[in-house]
Amino acid sequence: MKTWKFSRKSLGIPYAVFLLLFVALPLLVLVYYAFTNGEGHFTVSNLTGFFTDPNTLGTLCYSFAIAAVTTLVCLLLAYPTAYILATSNLKRKQVWLLIFIMSMWINFSLRMTALKEVLTLIEGNLARYPFLNAVVGMTYDFLPFMILPIYNTISRLDGALIEAAKDLGANDTAAFLKITLPLSVPGIISGVSMVFLPAMTNYVVLDMLYNSTYIMGSLIGSYFSAYNWHGGSMIALILLAIIIVFTVATNGADDSDRAGIGGALL
Amino acid sequence: MKMNYRMAALGAAFAVAFSALGGPYAAEARVESFSEDTITLRIANWEDYIDYGDWDEEETIELESGDIIGERNMVDEFEEWYEETYGKKVKVEYSTFGTNEDLYNMLTLGDVYDLVCPSEYMFMKLMTEKALVPLSDEFFDENEENNYYIRGLSQYIRDIFDSHEIDGEKWSSYAAGYMWGITGIVYNSDVVSPEEVSTWKFLNNPKYARQITIKDNVRDTYFAAVGALKSDLLLSDEFRNAPDYPKRLEEEMNDVSPEMIAKVQDYLQEVKDNAYSFETDSGAADMITGKVLANYQWSGDSVYTMDRADEDEFTLSFAVPEEVTNIYFDGWVMLKSGIGEDAEKQHAAEAFINYISRPDNVIRNMYYVGYTSVIAGGDDQRIFEFADYNFSAEDDEEDTVEYPLGWFFTGDNEDEDYIITAPSEQLHRQMVSQYPSQEDISRSCIMLNFDKEESEALNRMWINVRCFNIRNVPVWVWVLTAAALAALIGLYIRRRIYIRSLE
Repeated sequence: MKTWKFSRKSLGIPYAVFLLLFVALPLLVLVYYAFTNGEGHFTVSNLTGFFTDPNTLGTLCYSFAIAAVTTLVCLLLAYPTAYILATSNLKRKQVWLLIFIMSMWINFSLRMTALKEVLTLIEGNLARYPFLNAVVGMTYDFLPFMILPIYNTISRLDGALIEAAKDLGANDTAAFLKITLPLSVPGIISGVSMVFLPAMTNYVVLDMLYNSTYIMGSLIGSYFSAYNWHGGSMIALILLAIIIVFTVATNGADDSDRAGIGGALL
Repeated sequence: MKMNYRMAALGAAFAVAFSALGGPYAAEARVESFSEDTITLRIANWEDYIDYGDWDEEETIELESGDIIGERNMVDEFEEWYEETYGKKVKVEYSTFGTNEDLYNMLTLGDVYDLVCPSEYMFMKLMTEKALVPLSDEFFDENEENNYYIRGLSQYIRDIFDSHEIDGEKWSSYAAGYMWGITGIVYNSDVVSPEEVSTWKFLNNPKYARQITIKDNVRDTYFAAVGALKSDLLLSDEFRNAPDYPKRLEEEMNDVSPEMIAKVQDYLQEVKDNAYSFETDSGAADMITGKVLANYQWSGDSVYTMDRADEDEFTLSFAVPEEVTNIYFDGWVMLKSGIGEDAEKQHAAEAFINYISRPDNVIRNMYYVGYTSVIAGGDDQRIFEFADYNFSAEDDEEDTVEYPLGWFFTGDNEDEDYIITAPSEQLHRQMVSQYPSQEDISRSCIMLNFDKEESEALNRMWINVRCFNIRNVPVWVWVLTAAALAALIGLYIRRRIYIRSLE
């Protein structure tokens, strides 16, 4: 019998156990509930039910719309900020960066309550602009997740590339469009995936800012409180599938872009 | 009770994930490890629903019959009282839950409790499922001095618990009431007139577009919607004067026919577009900060809302719509899964109900929680004294009204010992939400527990109301999305071709 010897691989055991217990196992339970009915028989009716009901489909679209607009707004705000921060000659850049992400250190519900009051001051009656409020709330919450990765990518760019581009006659705009922007795409992609996916489910923002329309997260919750664990599990699973598709797609784009950058630099 | 059901539901979701693994074992592991002479009593109650003590000196309730103050947690005091009275040690494991559904999910997943306090529809459901242990005969013995519950129970509440049955068995055989209340509307009387809030149609009043918040839960919204949709019938003299009015009222308000559900869905969709929002726990705060002008509220929470507003010198009022109001109860029930056949444990559980029904404890709980107890006190005058202490007018007050509460305290509304001389404004304030008038109560009805199919239909309706219907997506959004998609695909293809050309 082979005796057990401590190796580097053994260091992975705690994480493997964690993964098995808290990720794999719950996922299996989720799949079980998603594909069974109240009597425990196999069924796909939860799946077909989701895609034939205009209300659940509408919820998917609504969540998607909130997430898409939030991501766009975050990107438009974060990119210039990160760019300026990364390329400026400011001393103590890290301190500046901290100022931008400091809001993350304050408790979430406190931030949202404050935002609620500020928005009430501006809008008068919050309930008139539920979609806008959701987007503002999400942007407020997720902006740091967009700034950080973009800042990191841009600040690691090799300055020599831009000098070279300028030597070859490119003006500032051309150098930015041909060099900096394409090379910062990986940062943009990781920022987008860190904002877009949570924004589809973070219903607490909507709750706190008085948007009474369900998004995916609240829809799942409502199924569970109606004791419909099967329907709720299926929606959670569908959401998971969307996330996987999204991740794979962006990885693909990531690779091809790197190839593209390589090509462009030739 | 306050509810944050989505949070609860998420909790349940996680619990589901682990139930397969740990459920049954976890339940077994909970079996008491105390020595044999200690009874362990596992109680689950709503959050903040019993006096935790620690009152300030100035909070002392100075009744003529003596001061009442909550110094310590009532659960701890019960443990001592039980040992002193019955010579047995009892250890209470006290937990709380956020919603009835949450409690039910916890029970389904294998959590074990001996004594729980759900609302009436949930104990009806548990009765249907034969999950409860009946209260003992001794519990109903009015000659036993320590039986504070049955000796103090309001005759009115007692009749309701005796006259409602599940599968041929009375509520009262299984459930002992705790707090009760009605539904109504808290409003800002500077802007909203009492006439406007005298009907459930108020929730849909375009004059107050985006200025009303509504309880975020299917049962309460359904009740209000049915009240509004059947307003004409409910207000008609013919219906009101019918000999079997209470019975017919209950039938009409518990109408969950598919046609009615469809109508309610349309109606609630309009309400959703007219309301400020559905709220889970911001109702009181939004009224006090003046964000909204009215809030569909439970009477107990409305007392709290008005009290808080009073502290800010801001006056809010409470109205009970004239069509109908929903009377609801939270009641103590003992679970088979916890108590089983353990007679000692059952004795301790029943003693707990009696202890918190002792008039001084009732007053402490009512003060602390804001809801109204089902206990009237029997021979003990203190609970009425407490109501009188809260609401009666000062001697120099001129505009007063005689407010009889005999219907609750003795069953005889003419009883002169149970009349509060209150300032007239109390007819729209805390007094009426804590102790509604006999007239309001005569128009109250219970919302029953619905069977599985009916509940599913109701939940479906509610989800439909809350969801964004895909048919409402405007055409330009579709066009824009299609254009954006096409552009993305185009860009991708161009890039591919470009890369290939380089290779």
